[in-house]
Parts: sequence; C-alpha cells; structure tokens
Amino acid sequence: MEIPIEKVGGVAVATVPVDELDASNSGEFKRDIGPVLQLQPRVVFDLGQLRFVDSSGLGAMLSCLRQLTAKGGDLKLCSMSKQVRALFELVRMHRIFEIYNTRQDAVQAFQQQHA
Amino acid sequence: MKEAQEFQESIERHARYSLGNPWSDLSARDRFAAVAFAVRDRLIDLHLATEQRYRKADSKRIYYLSIEFLIGRSLGCHLHNLGIRETCRQALDNLGADLEEIAEMEPDAALGNGGLGRLAACFLDSLATLGMPGCGYGINYEYGLFKQEIDDGYQREKPDNWLARSSPWQIPRPEEACLVPVYGRVERTVDRNGAYNPMWMDWKILIGTPYDMLIPGYGGQTVNFLRLYSARSSQEFDMGIFNDGDYFKAVEQKMTSETISKVLYPSDAMVAGQELRLVQEYFLVACTLRDIVRRFEQNHTSYEEFSAKIAIQMNDTHPALMVAELMRMLLDEKNLEWEQAWNITRETLAFTNHTLLPEALEKWPVSLLERVLPRHLEIIQEINRRFLEQVSALQPKDEDRLGRMSLIEESDPRQVRMANLAIVGSHSINGVAEIHTQLIKTSLVPDFYNLWPGRFNNKTNGITQRRWLLEANPALAELIRNAIGDGWITDLCQLRGLEKFASDPGFQSRFAEAKRRNKDRLTGMIRETARVNCDPASLFDVHVKRIHAYKRQLLKVLHIIYEYLSLIEDGRQPLAPRTYVFAGKAAPGYWMAKQIIKLIHNVGRVINHDSRAADWLKVAFIPDYRVSVAQRIIPAADLSEQISTAGTEASGTGNMKFALNGALTIGTLDGANIEIREQVGAENIFVFGLTADQAQAMHRERLYRPRESYDRDQRVRRVVDVFRSNLFSPTEPDLFAWIHRTLLDENDTFLHLADLAAYLDAQDTVARAFGSAGWTRAAILNVARMGKFSSDRAIREYARDIWHMEASLEAPPDESHNGARMDEVSLRAG
Repeated sequence: MEIPIEKVGGVAVATVPVDELDASNSGEFKRDIGPVLQLQPRVVFDLGQLRFVDSSGLGAMLSCLRQLTAKGGDLKLCSMSKQVRALFELVRMHRIFEIYNTRQDAVQAFQQQHA
Repeated sequence: MKEAQEFQESIERHARYSLGNPWSDLSARDRFAAVAFAVRDRLIDLHLATEQRYRKADSKRIYYLSIEFLIGRSLGCHLHNLGIRETCRQALDNLGADLEEIAEMEPDAALGNGGLGRLAACFLDSLATLGMPGCGYGINYEYGLFKQEIDDGYQREKPDNWLARSSPWQIPRPEEACLVPVYGRVERTVDRNGAYNPMWMDWKILIGTPYDMLIPGYGGQTVNFLRLYSARSSQEFDMGIFNDGDYFKAVEQKMTSETISKVLYPSDAMVAGQELRLVQEYFLVACTLRDIVRRFEQNHTSYEEFSAKIAIQMNDTHPALMVAELMRMLLDEKNLEWEQAWNITRETLAFTNHTLLPEALEKWPVSLLERVLPRHLEIIQEINRRFLEQVSALQPKDEDRLGRMSLIEESDPRQVRMANLAIVGSHSINGVAEIHTQLIKTSLVPDFYNLWPGRFNNKTNGITQRRWLLEANPALAELIRNAIGDGWITDLCQLRGLEKFASDPGFQSRFAEAKRRNKDRLTGMIRETARVNCDPASLFDVHVKRIHAYKRQLLKVLHIIYEYLSLIEDGRQPLAPRTYVFAGKAAPGYWMAKQIIKLIHNVGRVINHDSRAADWLKVAFIPDYRVSVAQRIIPAADLSEQISTAGTEASGTGNMKFALNGALTIGTLDGANIEIREQVGAENIFVFGLTADQAQAMHRERLYRPRESYDRDQRVRRVVDVFRSNLFSPTEPDLFAWIHRTLLDENDTFLHLADLAAYLDAQDTVARAFGSAGWTRAAILNVARMGKFSSDRAIREYARDIWHMEASLEAPPDESHNGARMDEVSLRAG
C-alpha cells in the first residue's frame, strides 16, 4: 500500500489511501506505515478518503497509537467522515485519539503542544 | 371524472415506466403493482407535506418499536384512507379491470404471528388518523410467517417469501443505512484524561438498510411511515478470506450477516438461547436508535431535551435491549454522566407487557449476551447493581425479594430477565386489558408494582375500524352509513347511534341480509380452501386464532364431539344447524398444537362424511390463516369463540373484531372479554366458566379434580371417553390417546374439564337464541357498543398518559381531503 506522507513543521501527515480499511487491508496498512512510525514521533493520519472502517482497521490505528505513545510520541486523526466518526464514538475510541476536523488543526495542535 | 382520468394515466405511466410494459400486457400481479405505484405517488406527496409540518412544529415524535407488524394487505385500506376508492374503481373500469380482483393479487405482508403484531399495525393506522407524529420501527423479514398447508390433516410449513418480487409499497432508503457492531469484547482501558474507558473491540459489523412503508391516516391529511430494516453485510465479500482462496467461507460470512433479517420467528418457538433471535432484537434496537438520534440532532443540540421530544414505546420485551442501547449511546457517544443518562432513558422509554405466561417472558443467558453484546451486558450489570442497592435500602435483608427483582436470574445458566430490564428502564409499564393489568400488578411482578405503583397503568387494546369494518365488511359499513352517516369511521363511539335501530324490524332485516351476504362469500371460500360444503343459513360458529393450548381449541372440539354423539347415538338433533369454522397456525415446533390441527381435521372428516349429520353439523378448517383471510371470515361469523382459560389471554383483539362485525361472543371472563361484556351488556354475550381468581386458586391450592367432573357429568364422560376409542383416528390407532390422559390430568394447566359442562350449557343457550329477532337485536347492540375498542381510543390514552403528547397537528383542509369527502358522498349516493 502506498501511503503518501507529507512533512509539515516536524509532523508527519499520512493520508490513509483507501476507501475502506478492514480485515482485507489493515495488515498491509500496519506493515507499510511501520517505518514512518519508527522515524517520526508526531504523526497525523488524514482519514479524508476513508468511508468505512471495521474493527481490524480500528485495531490497526490503535496499535499505531500505542506504538507512538510508548516512545513519547502521539498520533492524531483528522478529516473523518461522519460515518467513520460515528463508529469511533460507538466503540469509545474517540476518547483515546485526538480527532480534528482538518489536517491544519491537527498539525497546529502538535505545534502548540511543542511550544 | 377528471380525477379518475388522471389516476388512470398514472396507472398507465407506471405500467410502462416502472414495470416496462403497456397495461394491456401486464400480468394480474403486475397490474396490482401498477395501481399500488399510482397510489404510492399520492402517499409520497402527502408524506413529504406531513414531515414538513412536523418539522415546522418541532413536534414530539413517537417511535413504536415492535419485532412484528402484521400488516396484511394495504391497497384497500389506503384507498379508503386517501378517499380515492371510487376514483380508483372508475379508473380501473376505464382500463377494463376490476378493483376487487386487482386487490386480491396483493400478497399479505405477514410480518407477525398474531395479536401483538396486528395491534402494532392497527396503532399505526390510528396514529396517522389522529394526526400524530408516530412511526413504527421493525424488521424487513425476507420470509414472513410461514405459509400453512394441510396434508392429510397435518400442518406443513412452507416458506413465505413475500419479498420475492419486492413490494411496491416499500421505498428503499440506502442513504440512511446505519452501522451496527455486534460480538467482540470489552477492553478496559483509560482515556486520554485517565478516566475509565471500556472500549468495544473485535466486533463484526452489520449494515441496516431502511425500507419505508407509508401509512396514511383516514382523510389523507397525515401520512406517517413504518420503517423496516434489512440487514446486509458490510462488504460484498470479505476480501481477506477471499484472497486466501476460501471463496465459500467468504460467501458464507456474507450470508450470515444477511441472515439477520431473513426470517420471522414463529411465536412459541423455543427462542431462548437462539443467538440469531437475540441479534435480530439488537439489530432492530440499534438501527432504530441511530435513526432517532439522526432526526433529533437535525433540530436539537442538547440531550436535556431528548425525552421532551421523543417517546419510545417498546411493544413487549423484544425491544427491551433499548434500555441498554440508549444508555450506551448517552454514556459512550454523548459523554453524559450515569445519572443524567439514566433519567433520560427512563423518561423516554415505556413498556407494554403482552403476556402472563411465565414461559413466554424472555430471558437470555448471560454468557450469550457477553459474547454478542459485551458492552451492553456491562451496562445491564451496572443498572442492576444500582437498582438492587436502591431496593436493598428500601427493603433491607429481604434476599428473596432481591432475587426476584434482580435483572439477572441466578439460575444455571445465569440469565438476563428482559421483562425486569424493560420495567426498570421505563417510566410507564402497561397491560393491555383491565384484568391483565391487574394480574401484572398482583401476580406477574408484584414486587415492582409495590415499589413503583405509579408507573403501572392499563391501556386496553383496540382495533382500527377502518380495516376491520369499513374495508373488511362493506355490506355492514354501507348499512351503518345509511343509518347514521360516517362519523364512526373516525369516532367509533358514534356507533351508539345504531341502538335506536336495534329493535326496528326493517333495520334488523337489512342487518341480517348483510350478514347473509358475508356468509355466502365465506361459504365459497370454505368450499374452495377446505373442500367442505356448508349451508350459509347455519350458525357460523368460529374459532380463529393462533393454535395454542391456552386458547383452548380443544374445548371447542369437545363441544363438537358432544353435539355429534348426541345426534348419532341419541338422535338428539341440535337446536340449530352449525358450521364450525377453524383457522390458525401452530408454531412449527409445538407438537400439541399441531396435533390439535390434526384432530380438527379428523373430527371434520368423520362428521362431514356422516349422512346422519349432513343437515346439522359441518366442520371446516380454513388453511393459512392471515389478515386477508381474517377479513373474510370475521364479517361472516355468527358466534365468536373466545374461550381461553381465564387469566391467560392478555387481551385478545379478535374478540373485538368479531363483535364489531355483529357476531355474538361466547367467552370466558378473560382478557378484554370482560370489558366487552361491560360495554355490550351481560344479556348480549354468552359468558361461562371459571373466573381468573377461581382458576388461580385452583392452581395455587391444587383443587383441580378433572376426575370429579368426569364422574359427575355424563356428557363430560362421554366426550372424554371418545379418546379411548379410535373413532376419530381409525387408520392411526391411539393417535389421540394423549388427549384422554391430558383431560384427566390434575396438572392440566388449562383446566379444560373444569369449564366443559358450563361451556356445553352455554352452547345450548346459544342454539336456542340463534335465528330469533332477539339474536339480531343483540348483534346490532354489539356493533353499536364497540366504540371503546377502537385503536383510536387506545392511542389517545397512550398519548395522554404515557407519551404526554400535545394535541394532534391538524393540517388545513386541502384538495386531497376535499377529494376524499367527494368520494364518500358519491359512495353514499350510490
């Protein structure tokens, strides 16, 4: 899976490049985002393209978060569709992640923390 | 004329562009669909106007949740309610078609088993007629209740794939589909602020796609909807499994998700432990709540307003998971504190109980809930912990009471009591007839009543006169219209105006003539479906409803056998020739009920072929009982059999339908029979047998002695002993020997022999009265005094006492309403 990464002021913004993140591709996503997480402690996932996520997709994101927080970093999410947001709320994952409307908001949040 | 022309054009347009053929080339079934589409166009316009009206007024909404909606056919009632029946008839005349024949092509939407589901359908009609923003929420079963076929007297079940050709009434709303997680586990973590955060992990997802059926009220001012959800898989296939090469497993998984809305469970089936049923119930609740929240959040931001704007009525315990789901949503998604969430939940929810039979109260194993709905079980356990603390504080050291009231039954396996959950989570708990409500308070859940007496109330069931008189019985409806006008269509109490005609010979004669026309029609149906020739002049003695021991079809058969033996052995001719009509389905796994169907057929076979009985007795079992068949049978009945053991039938609504159509009731003091007697007068109903108190005492003090009844009364002995012979099972010896044992068993829960002698006496009284002017007078008075039993009255009471609704929202008269009036005028003139 080719995951576009953009660096904005010390923050890596990864665009999740699929419509659906589920059992069929969440393993691949985890594998391919792995090197980014190794190098970057401050990461934003832009979920603007994502229309559906199942429990393995959420599990993959949770695993990324845990990986980053274990070494003092963080993962923030942005640009969620209404449907994806609803699923996060349904299973209380919205309380684990910081979620922002836009990628600028998410990056800014990192920068304010840093400041 | 112009309206008929426009309607005709609309039908032809749909024939061509919705069905792809000119009208002349359509099959009969497609002709029905073309007409239905033309009607649906009108419904949609009126529905959009109705929704706009509700939104503008920011009306409180009522959500009626039911696992069943027994709708039956819609075309006839929609035409009446929209006031376009004559318009449609004229349009079809122009097209060379007959409205009645077209209407016969509509398959019944059999999305229910019996009373509970039919009540839900009647309530939707009343909500719309009263202009209330009330909608139904249910499941779009692909297979409705099974089709019943009879093979050598045995019931055979065939699938009823009513959606095979899709229903023209349904409007798919895929854009409003919702996601429903199930299964998985709870991971107990903390959130970013260090607070406890139970996360629901490893779930599977179902997608609920809504299909709307529009429900017009009479007059066409209000068109509400019934929203039915179909389950589908989140993906066409699980590509992960597919890519691993296991194509069949991928397909199987997809099919498993779609199974959720595949089939309606027959009642009395042993559903406890059946995982699919539990998932169905949650699927209904979860989809409905997503939709409620979506609508609520269009106009509101604060959940403090939730219960002021929303009322959710749970029709029996099947939607009781709503208590946990609403709590979950408020706690987990909306971040409310427990106390606030609990207050909102209780103020929003209300629960209708429908049964007194303890075995019919739903329970789910804790282990199953933990697997299917882990987060919900956690919430239920917390509700229980807090609730039992409250009870303990009020009644310290009463461990027995705590055990009875707990939401969890400490049995093996431990089970969640859904009725207790529904009661604890609701601000209102209602029974469906006065005696039923009384028994809920004193026998079923007295501990809860003692704790919260103010929450318990009665709402006697009702039926919609638009279907059960105006549509089902045009002959009687026309007679009534000519006598007192048509105000009764929306105010059933106006039937009181018929009282003054009860002794009028001219009216009596016309009333009897209307009944005779209905009996002629039913005679044809009996001939075609049951292969029995009967005399329409005979007394039509009718027992139609689900086949169940407590409804005592067996008691009816004992009476028939008594009459038959008296005739052939003693030469005692009945006082009136009778046709005994049965219909009803037995749950596929309910052996005894299926045996009763076989018994009815075997008794019928012997009697119908005995030339000595030919002029006196006929027995007919009409197969595949459903709403459209009921609409044919009920108007033709002379005698309505409502003979359940007192204290077992919650209310019954068949009893009301028969009386409204001028049948006299023979019944026990059970369910709504008691209130029917109060209304029609004791002299206009045949009541017999034990009271509920007497039956209860007989059980409690073990006083039932069937052997004494048998020894004391020769008639009882004679009938019971038949089952030691093979008179009714000559080719299958001892087939019915179990009935002999059951009838003489002191543990016969339904006390057949305690009531048999009184029943036979009451039937003699019936026979003496039949055919007299007194009978017709009593039948007219029954019709005249049925006002109380309209579902309009029931809904008004729910609105006033439970939903705390404001006055209904009347739309200003518009053209369609004027059209309705014109149609009714032209009908009268005709």
